[in-house]
Amino acid sequence: MKSLISKIANTNIGIKIRNSLGFRPIPISFRGVIKSSVSDAFCWRTDSNFSTIFKYTDILNLFYKIDNSYVEFHFYTNKNKLIKRLKFNNLNYSNSLTIDSKLLNGIKDYGTFYIYHFSDQKIKNNTIIANRCYLGYSKNKQLHSFVHGNVLAKFKNLNNLKGKQQNSLDIIKTSYINNGNYKIQNYFKDFDKTELFFANPTSEKIEFLIGKNKYILLKGCSKIIETTNQNSINIKSNCLFLRPTIFNYKNEFIDVYHG
Amino acid sequence: MNYFFGLKSNFFTSQITVPRFQNRGDANLNYNLYELSIENYLWSIKKLENLEINDDFFLITKDKIDNDKIFFLATEKDLNNFDKSKLTKLNSFTDSIPSYRANLKINLKGGGFSSYQSEYPHNMTLKKGTILSSVSSMANLDAEKNYVIIKNIFTEPIKEKFNIFFVDINNKKILDNVEIQTNYTNLIEINKSLIKPEIFLVTDKYIGIPIFISEKKLHLSFEHTHPPHEYILSDDKFIKITELKREINEIIN
Repeated sequence: MKSLISKIANTNIGIKIRNSLGFRPIPISFRGVIKSSVSDAFCWRTDSNFSTIFKYTDILNLFYKIDNSYVEFHFYTNKNKLIKRLKFNNLNYSNSLTIDSKLLNGIKDYGTFYIYHFSDQKIKNNTIIANRCYLGYSKNKQLHSFVHGNVLAKFKNLNNLKGKQQNSLDIIKTSYINNGNYKIQNYFKDFDKTELFFANPTSEKIEFLIGKNKYILLKGCSKIIETTNQNSINIKSNCLFLRPTIFNYKNEFIDVYHG
Repeated sequence: MNYFFGLKSNFFTSQITVPRFQNRGDANLNYNLYELSIENYLWSIKKLENLEINDDFFLITKDKIDNDKIFFLATEKDLNNFDKSKLTKLNSFTDSIPSYRANLKINLKGGGFSSYQSEYPHNMTLKKGTILSSVSSMANLDAEKNYVIIKNIFTEPIKEKFNIFFVDINNKKILDNVEIQTNYTNLIEINKSLIKPEIFLVTDKYIGIPIFISEKKLHLSFEHTHPPHEYILSDDKFIKITELKREINEIIN
């Protein structure tokens, strides 16, 4: 009986009920994730004269001595429309990709992208890797301001085998009500303006509130919200791990970091 | 329990904005801000006064920051357990998921600024070991100058020298090394010839947090790197990291 209750409590619905009631809430879970490459929902920007540099490590070579691995990038618009997939072989230990409008079919906007590591070699079932990577954002061709990945979102089988699980299982968990609370631990009064980039890391619709303003993000969508002159920023959401990437502006300078 | 720290140098000033609230909760005004430094081989503590911006934040300005000072939040009562001979966990107010962080901002004299959400967890102060960090992941060939900060906080009030090495892991060679010290914010300029995919930054004896700074035309970038265990989520993470560190330790030793 006890094990049956435990099984139910750890299903997607069970976790959502627990999260709604605040009873042993689970914001993040890797239950059911096996032999996977996990990616953050990374932000790309080509709007407002931005370009993005992405730096990533060949994890399978560095830690597992698998030297023929490759990566795939999947780029999406902020409405979750696939723009393109890119594949790179012959990786160095450390690699970089410049993301500008030329790379993204002329698009000057913002959205999300994901990186997955794959190998054709046999990999143990219990292996899970995550490339948190580093992103640099340059505005008006000035120095890139770097920040690392902010929120684990999607995963793929390390041998690039398709499975139902990777489309239906979320690492970041949700609740039926907006009881996820996250107050960014910085003071925002000194800036000309602040932009907050949010990506929906789940396969569900999520809601969030900043002050009295309510926002909705459908599956895979992303949004930049501008704010000015705030003492602090509090985010309430039905997503239990929703952290923005922050762009602070002062005069001609920008500063990008994770919340 | 987390500590906070800053940087003082000829090139940069820094400031630390310390939140008085947990990231999922409200402010707790019973917590004061304290400064620790080493005097006569003992930890010396001082309460910092009048740093409140408001009920939500303390601001530690550049004049209060030095490379051998660290800061933490505690109540008056917590100090009953303060030990001059070693850093002791005094409370769990800053133990949170996501991590409790302060904003560490650096300013270039006459130029721009950059920051990251920063903390040094108490459990890291109890450990010795090796840092392993890719240089080209964060250093920028396009910048005019690149630096790395190695911040170490060690539980014992000691100032001991140790080394940072720049290692070519393909050719198994040390390309450069610099002496740094414990309980200090060490700032090292990185030669551009070291910004290559196969070059890793490694320390002997002590761990710490590597934070990279790039500078170009008065603009700055400032961000910490991930420790290797963040790349592997499965149970084999410690085996894989130990194997890699052993391989690299053979080069530096």
